[in-house]
Amino acid sequence: MNAFAWQRPGTVAQAAALLPSDVDDRSAALMAGGQDLLTELRNHLVEPERVVSLKGVAGLDALRFESDGSLVIGALVTLERLAADAQVRARLAVLAEAALSVGSPQIRAAGTVGGNLNQRPRCWYYRNEAMVCLKKGGDECFAQSGMNKYNAILGGGPSYIVHPSDLAPALVALSAEATLVSPRGARTLKLEDFYKLPSEVGPQRETVRAGDEVMTEVRVPAPAPGMRSTYAKFKERGSYDWALSAVALCLWTSGGAIADARLVLGGVAPKPWRTPSTEALLKGRVVDDETCRLAGVEALRGAAPLADNGYKIPLTQGLLTRALRSLS
Amino acid sequence: MTAPDSNAAQIAAAAAAANALPPAADERPEWTPRAEMTVLNREIPRLDGPQKVTGRARYTHDVRLPGMVYARLVVTPYARADVGRISLTAARKVPGVVYAETVKADDEGVRYQGYDGILVVVAAETPEAAEDGVRAVRAKVTPLRPPLVTPEQALADGAPQITRRGNVSSESSRGDSDAAAAALEGCDAVVEATYTLPVQHHVCLETHGCVVDYRGGDSATVYHSSQYVTGGPQEFAQYLELPRGNVRVICEHMGGGFGSKFGAGTEGLLACQTAKALGRPVHLMLTREDEFLMAGNRSGSKQRMVGGATKDGKLRALLVEADRLGGVGQGSLPTPPYIYDVETSWSRLRSVHTATDSNRAQRSPGHPQASFAMESLVDELAYALSIDPLAMRLANLSDPVYHRQLQRAAREIGWDAHPHKTAHGAPDADGRALGIGFGVSTWGSSSRPDAIVEVRIHPDGSLEVSNAVQDIGQGSRTLVAAIVAEEFGLPVSAVTPRIGDSSLPTSVYSGGSITTGSVAPAVKDAAFNARTALAARVATALGVEPDTLVFRGGRVEVRDDPSVGMSWKGACALLGGDPLTASGKYRDHLHGERVHGAQAAKVSVDVLTGRVRVLRMVCVQDQGIPFNRMALRSQINGGLIQALSYGLFEERVIDPIHGVMLSDDLEAYKIAGAQEMPEFTVILDDDDDRQAAMGMAEAPNIPGHGAIANAVYNACGVRVRDMPLTPDKILTKWLEMQR
Ligand SMILES: Cc1cc2nc3c(=O)[nH]c(=O)nc-3n(C[C@@H](O)[C@@H](O)[C@H](O)COP(=O)(O)OP(=O)(O)OC[C@H]3O[C@@H](n4cnc5c(N)ncnc54)[C@H](O)[C@@H]3O)c2cc1C
Ligand code: SF4
Repeated sequence: MNAFAWQRPGTVAQAAALLPSDVDDRSAALMAGGQDLLTELRNHLVEPERVVSLKGVAGLDALRFESDGSLVIGALVTLERLAADAQVRARLAVLAEAALSVGSPQIRAAGTVGGNLNQRPRCWYYRNEAMVCLKKGGDECFAQSGMNKYNAILGGGPSYIVHPSDLAPALVALSAEATLVSPRGARTLKLEDFYKLPSEVGPQRETVRAGDEVMTEVRVPAPAPGMRSTYAKFKERGSYDWALSAVALCLWTSGGAIADARLVLGGVAPKPWRTPSTEALLKGRVVDDETCRLAGVEALRGAAPLADNGYKIPLTQGLLTRALRSLS
Repeated sequence: MTAPDSNAAQIAAAAAAANALPPAADERPEWTPRAEMTVLNREIPRLDGPQKVTGRARYTHDVRLPGMVYARLVVTPYARADVGRISLTAARKVPGVVYAETVKADDEGVRYQGYDGILVVVAAETPEAAEDGVRAVRAKVTPLRPPLVTPEQALADGAPQITRRGNVSSESSRGDSDAAAAALEGCDAVVEATYTLPVQHHVCLETHGCVVDYRGGDSATVYHSSQYVTGGPQEFAQYLELPRGNVRVICEHMGGGFGSKFGAGTEGLLACQTAKALGRPVHLMLTREDEFLMAGNRSGSKQRMVGGATKDGKLRALLVEADRLGGVGQGSLPTPPYIYDVETSWSRLRSVHTATDSNRAQRSPGHPQASFAMESLVDELAYALSIDPLAMRLANLSDPVYHRQLQRAAREIGWDAHPHKTAHGAPDADGRALGIGFGVSTWGSSSRPDAIVEVRIHPDGSLEVSNAVQDIGQGSRTLVAAIVAEEFGLPVSAVTPRIGDSSLPTSVYSGGSITTGSVAPAVKDAAFNARTALAARVATALGVEPDTLVFRGGRVEVRDDPSVGMSWKGACALLGGDPLTASGKYRDHLHGERVHGAQAAKVSVDVLTGRVRVLRMVCVQDQGIPFNRMALRSQINGGLIQALSYGLFEERVIDPIHGVMLSDDLEAYKIAGAQEMPEFTVILDDDDDRQAAMGMAEAPNIPGHGAIANAVYNACGVRVRDMPLTPDKILTKWLEMQR
């Protein structure tokens, strides 16, 4: 990595003021736990003059259930803490399981919720400095015609990354909202609307975050009573790996049939992939082989695999089957 | 790279010396019968274990010397490229940078990925400054297309020539193809299949490199992560242009070699050149990316096979056409059929070159590739004939050792009670299927005659054993001490081993499982000579015959009358002022050859996700005298883990259009971790009663991935012929089968 100035603001406002508002201005980078940013610096994917550490900012480490049953998660809460919290595990299993599925114990001990939700993609062309692809301002997506075993089967084009965050599908399934603070003020938006496809915001970005916006907290509204949830993540290697595919599923049942469902897919699209038509299909059905089959077909409708990633279709269907069965 | 053979002259000279003085028959050292051993044939914890787990062990990477500079390489990522002007002006201006020189001649391009991709060496006062220097180098590099990184590109009409030998070399054939084809006619089952294996990296945790301590003058010390310490001075002296006797090479501890660290390498040459230019110590260790690009690998392989067997399970015919895929290297593959007896066989082998890093020796070079193809083929024929794959193996292995070992492995893994032996099984309601598979291995375990060992007994009772041998993880430090302790009836802690230094008596390289078989006899010889000399002193003092004395339990005493004797310390005190030094050399009668192993794997295959979970691996392995049972088991565990990792994950990935390596870190180049570890059952084959020293580290690495692949088939009928067994392949094949 190149030499940089290290800045350690004490408040969110100071931090935001140190950041350039234009996302394309990479002269400064925000750092929380550094588990993603350090790898980007090391591989010279970003070469900022200044690194702004969030670690000195007080008040970003809350993790509490409010009286209305909603959960507030400060941006600096570590994945380890989130995964281990007894309340979170009991009430929002999908979130605790997603946090526990990230990386290794070391990564979870240092990595934060804000960093997890704002991490950059792992596409191996993006991560290789020599390959100046669309995401780095080049004029070609090398994965599209190259080695694309790990790339997107849904929502791809012109870039075919998969969003790497495990928390994002879980939080989108839980209808979470995120708060972003910049010198222009604060805004709160649904996490579902925070993530965008390359066709919507261009291949160089994954979210609607402005360069000087600091994500301060995530709020999970109280789920309707009776929710059961799970995060089924498939990694090629158990010890630490990103999802080849993942299913975040929240289910409400009544009288043996599904009353309501929220389903979000991870590891298969450039953003957490909601599939409302599958949620609709599930309503009123009991979980049996036929339901699993139909839901699998519906959830992957529109999938357009590249040369080497067609397996993600049956894989995702298999994970969905497992998730449905485990909650019924 | 220096082949170990480059020291052939030295070896021959040592052999001649060894033969010049035939020992009197009655003075021959012999291994103590196993049942009488008090130190050996037991569990001996590694002497450097505490140092290693507490981080105190000093590896080459850790060496810090006064005035030392850090060197880094500028390496092109492309397999083939034109290189225009290289500008070092900015690099030389980076604060802290003291050296920046091009490696390439003007207009010299990059012909292959690996050492040829090194453009510039930069050295600086700190690693950070060196990296800044690397970043400041400006070079105009234009990648060439096609990059010639796949065999298809290399074999295409009009493909540019990759090596001086062309794009295909070293063709050889054995057997009569007409006879083999005719033999197929009489077979009841014929299987035609192509088996492919990817390029595997050694993945040494400690990357390649050295620290050259040269400050001008006529001598130097080199700290080198090396599998051949004794051979080091020759190469480094040449690079430093110093007399060989003035260069000392040290390797105290090693973070893995697996066959990739016999020589100094280009990194060693560049470190020497930099040290010479600066007159300062130079630290040059490769980065992980460099390591993946240029530090060698296990060659890939493509084996087209046609095999036939008759109803009785006998292999009658085999035709093999195999490509070794070793980049600009030759690749390696033993001539088929591998281990199994086949009545009539024909094979044609060749090296197909690509513009990628040369393969190097890697733990059992060529054997895991050959084993996978042959074990798969035998398995496929067994199922085609509805024969138990275990019985099929026994029918085609003439060596009775394999029968004993395979049956033992089968018993341990529960083959008898396994519900489906002659046809594959099916998944349960939840989508999981269980299967068992087998494989066998062999290794020559030869020896080299050049080891010389010195044992020194001090008057205060302390004891040293010295030999230049490196401990690359196999436990040679502990072994040399334990053999001496056994000889004197002392605990291992009473012996101080001195190893890993070329100024110590000559040793051998660690490769091909020769270390134990070559060094242990010399240690035994030296210890025997020291004991004989000390026994003579004690005998005189006690007024008894030397041959009545035994060394046991910390005493030297008359065998049949323990009341006549003295303590070890008392005996050593007889030496007076000077230590007793005895040397020993390699003794062929103490060494044995050829080890055997049988393995079984039990897996669970999840047909909903394609995950292969290895539940258990059993290995039955012989090795002559099991000197250190704990070290042996840990060697075998390591072999099983390497095979599992190779079978499930490992694969070098290079983009075929741009020639850039995509798997150049430990995120994309996946190796097995704690979560993948099955239960290991390691059985040291004590029915092997050969009283001989031999190494066996290669053998456990050979058949595991093949056994796993066979277990996957046995579980659910998915036959993967192209390694590794990743979920995408399993899932795709499973769904094809369902159609
Ligand atoms: C070996 C390895 C394995 C991994 N495995 C997984 C995995 O399985 N699943 C997974 O999801 N992730 C994985 N990761 C990614 C890991 O980096 C994140 O999970 C981690 O949570 C990042 O948090 P951090 O605080 O360290 O982020 P940082 O590295 O500090 O930041 C990451 C990015 O987010 C931005 N950022 C940080 N905080 C904020 C904020 N509050 N507001 C706005 N932007 C912010 C930074 O500018 C930076 O661009 C892995 C990483 C490694 C190195
Ligand atoms: S998928 Fe995106 S990141 Fe990967 S090569 Fe294509 S444009 Fe680049």
